[in-house]
Amino acid sequence: MNALAVSAPVDMAELRATLAAEAGPVHFVAGGTDMLIAGRPLPETGLLIDLARVAGMAFISTDGTDVRIGGATTVAALAADCRLRVRIPALCEAAAQCGSVQIRNRATIGGNIANAAPAADLMPVLVAAGTRLALLKHDGTQYEAALCEYLPNSGHLITEVILPERGLLPRSAFVKLGSRQDMTISRLNLALLAEFQSNHFGVVRVAAGALGPVSSRLHRAEVALAGRKLGAATLRDFIAALIDEVDTAIPGRNSQLHKRRAVAGLGLDLIAQAMGLSPRDRLFEEAAG
Amino acid sequence: MRMSLKVNGQAIETEISPISRLSGFLRDVLGLTGVKEGCCEGECGACTVLLDGQPVDSCLMLAFQATGREITTIEGLCGSGVNDLQQAFLKMGAVQCGYCTPGMVLAAEGLLHANPSPGEAEIRHALAGNICRCTGFETIVQAVATAAAARQGAER
Repeated sequence: MNALAVSAPVDMAELRATLAAEAGPVHFVAGGTDMLIAGRPLPETGLLIDLARVAGMAFISTDGTDVRIGGATTVAALAADCRLRVRIPALCEAAAQCGSVQIRNRATIGGNIANAAPAADLMPVLVAAGTRLALLKHDGTQYEAALCEYLPNSGHLITEVILPERGLLPRSAFVKLGSRQDMTISRLNLALLAEFQSNHFGVVRVAAGALGPVSSRLHRAEVALAGRKLGAATLRDFIAALIDEVDTAIPGRNSQLHKRRAVAGLGLDLIAQAMGLSPRDRLFEEAAG
Repeated sequence: MRMSLKVNGQAIETEISPISRLSGFLRDVLGLTGVKEGCCEGECGACTVLLDGQPVDSCLMLAFQATGREITTIEGLCGSGVNDLQQAFLKMGAVQCGYCTPGMVLAAEGLLHANPSPGEAEIRHALAGNICRCTGFETIVQAVATAAAARQGAER
């Protein structure tokens, strides 16, 4: 059995050539914050490729119609990028609430997707935004796929995360609930992207994490808001739809009772953040009452 | 595999296993035992070091990934003495058993580098990845705020 070898390509061309030349198993590491958690087996054979040095894998491009983010871009870079915050504030908010500053300085957007944790904080935002991925196969071919079609076990490398212009709705928000305020794994997280004009919602997309194996859209919650006036009655319907989504997602689970109550409060916080209102605004008291 | 990096200002070239954690390399190979290993899963922050000035959990980083980078551990923060931030920790009684202190100080240094005059909420947010089981955090936050204020005063 051959020992583990290491490669640290400096650009995409070297990365492609390295991949194409390797006949054995290939492992990728970028931040390492998921790979190195104690108790998880580390690779012992094959080729370990360090993505952290690949020029062209850590960037945030907001100048074009689509937002494009390199797969090895750190979560800290997402949280701090002012131009990204203009295009999709919810993604910056989710990034700012991921782990600790130490984790954010190393963890990457590609790793957050590839690790496929049910509670991954970036995922609800990316799902709601209709994200597409640029992927690289071992034979060097590149292709694009919708995030919801991506198979974490495929071994295909996420080189770019693409947020299409049509998914970047003008209002967006991300909220999470964990066992403490900071540095906490989400027990439940929600993202919203919406059109909003003349006090009415237009197109709305809502997604949740930690409600199933993968983050997913909450279509009933979207219908409860779409095209309707922002008011207590609409918000009550939104809360009812969210609770319905929880009941459908985790029937009979120990966490169902807790999450159907939590989602109500979290849902109102989500709307408050998206609208730039205080969660203590009278509107939300009326809706919760 | 061979790697070269800078640790506490000193250039180092050495052989390293591809799956050595940075924390293990710093402690076991370089003898920098100020780097503490607590949980090995990024929860406690005791292993915090500065990587090119930014706090990272050295237990969650492969040592070879530090090739060409600069690492600062608590031993390299102020030579053989203590700096003003460490002095503030002592003055405010922010050190009890001391196990979390190196990581806490380095996380605070990272914060003060990025944000020289943080508010209390910002200090708490920046130190959320560092767990102390003795002091209750109040005195630690006060120590960081005190050092920040003193540095700001010194600059005026």
